[in-house]
Amino acid sequence: MTVHTPIQSANRRIPGWAMGFTLAVVVAGGAYFGTNLSGHNPPIGGPPPSAGPPDAHMVIAKAGCMACHGPDLTGQVGPNLHHVKDGPTSANLKQLGTDHPDDWANIWIAGTDPAVSDPAMRMGMPAFAAPPYKLTPEEIASVVAYLKTLP
Amino acid sequence: MAVNPKKLRPYDQPPRIREPIVPSQPDAAATTYLVAAVLWFGVATALGALWATQQIFPGPLSLKTELPTFRGTLTFEISPATVSGGFWTALVYGWLTNAGLGAILFITPRLLGRRLIWEKIATGSAAALNVGLMAGLAFVYLPQIAAKGTLAEFPLPIDGVILLALFMANVVFWRTLLAAGQLVPYISLWFFGLALLASMGLYFLDSAFPLIGPSDTALALANGAYVRGVETLWVTGVAIGTLYYLIPRATGNPLYSAGIAYLGWVSWAGLSTLSMLGALADTSVPFVITQLGNAATLMLVAPAFLAVANLALSIRGRWSMILSPGTVPLAVVALAFFTASALLESIGSLNSVRGLVGRTEWVTGVQLFAYFGMATFAFLAMADHAFPRLLRRDWRETILADVALWATFAGTAVAGLALIGGGIDAIAGTMRWFLGGAAAGIGLIGLGALAEVVNLFFIYTSAPRVEYSVRDEVVVPTGEAAAGAAGQ
Repeated sequence: MTVHTPIQSANRRIPGWAMGFTLAVVVAGGAYFGTNLSGHNPPIGGPPPSAGPPDAHMVIAKAGCMACHGPDLTGQVGPNLHHVKDGPTSANLKQLGTDHPDDWANIWIAGTDPAVSDPAMRMGMPAFAAPPYKLTPEEIASVVAYLKTLP
Repeated sequence: MAVNPKKLRPYDQPPRIREPIVPSQPDAAATTYLVAAVLWFGVATALGALWATQQIFPGPLSLKTELPTFRGTLTFEISPATVSGGFWTALVYGWLTNAGLGAILFITPRLLGRRLIWEKIATGSAAALNVGLMAGLAFVYLPQIAAKGTLAEFPLPIDGVILLALFMANVVFWRTLLAAGQLVPYISLWFFGLALLASMGLYFLDSAFPLIGPSDTALALANGAYVRGVETLWVTGVAIGTLYYLIPRATGNPLYSAGIAYLGWVSWAGLSTLSMLGALADTSVPFVITQLGNAATLMLVAPAFLAVANLALSIRGRWSMILSPGTVPLAVVALAFFTASALLESIGSLNSVRGLVGRTEWVTGVQLFAYFGMATFAFLAMADHAFPRLLRRDWRETILADVALWATFAGTAVAGLALIGGGIDAIAGTMRWFLGGAAAGIGLIGLGALAEVVNLFFIYTSAPRVEYSVRDEVVVPTGEAAAGAAGQ
């Protein structure tokens, strides 16, 4: 014997509130579509559309700089990142700052310091982080530009 | 007449009954699919917990080894990438697809009042699907063979087996529906029909597209659109169709309005198809196309609200049923997660919100709300309703049902909110806490899955056999239980 469990419905009409809600959503969706046609898609896998240059705060947060340099970047395990607009504050970076006065910070963060002869030691920032946490050149430039604004 | 000695049997030995390799009794296919689904539920949650934990400790939980084969060495890799592919495969294809097909094959004959035509083919499709999935899941950890994506791309032979299984399920469903000759079938069958066609069509396109040699960008875009289509057309469609059967059936009430149901179906069908365009986000795709998809995703809140309101109004007068364990509370939780996930998806389709959270764990958290929340609870409700009937057991709700409900609910809420919060909050130092929360949440869901597996085991082994009577909704005891009742 086949079990038959038909389901009845109390009424077949579409109530006014249901039709009204549906129409309101369709109108709102159509209006949203019509008023947001100017824009561009980012490359797939690239940065979100609303970002121009990478936001330094977002980069610093996602890369975990505060874990070593402190919540306000005044130093903890890692050195104080304030005053870098005047040049490197760490003794081991003085020579780098002399040799590359404009982009010493970019070189150090990227891990391409030529003074560090052993490539294995050129870890770059964030230290001890495995890919994909290494920063892109655009992110490094954004972070350095931000650090140079710190008092 | 000469006697054949080979056919003589001892008088007390029963005659041998030859069981067919592929069972064909009523509901054999539905039983196979639903049992497999529950087992895959456990596998999916285990992989999910491993995936979330690997986000925090990728090194200790990763493994890479070379396997010698007759054609060289193959790399066997357990890494966040491969485990992610395995998790989503087990979740969507293993748990949700098996449960969805089981629900379709259970509900369809009951709504039409006739047996499934070609039940053997339906049972065979269950075997083919699960054999293909097990092989595919093994290949996921051999990245030289399987491509990586949110839903892992299987080697072509396995794609063929799975496609064949989906085709067989489609054939059985449509053949049975057409043979029943109903002019306007019940709304559940409308959702099932479109969902089945979509699942087969999308899987075919996703499998065949790489064969024409597209660029990596085109492949990534196609995979994104496919994942979106699977979520909106297949998983959501079957889940809504299941709820449209379960809630009126479990409460004994008629459906509030067939008109709302059909309006919801029409809007869902159109908007879900268009929403796939929102996944085509690349510089090579005109922005107007992507925006059309985003607008469609925004408007998907309409069919979601219509379905939730229609079903909630169908429960009127029977709301006390949600206070006791059973089908109705599971279905109500599914409706709650459906509302939440639909709202979050709509909000996430706005340009400004996508810009903030579009490529963060926020998206994963919303997907977890949809998959582990709405769809999982709809199919758990299905399992709660169907298993005692399929296995012909008298089974009352036990603490295992409470554990399954609350562990899955708490786990889904914790995991989804943790990932959504992690996507919103960009402080990397606390990201580990969010990922830890996601791991804990998925672990809780695993506990719920384990409870469901144990529940199924006890239903089959411990519960007395009964035959369910549909007219009176009275469980008619048979065998020892009947003798005991007669003696009282």
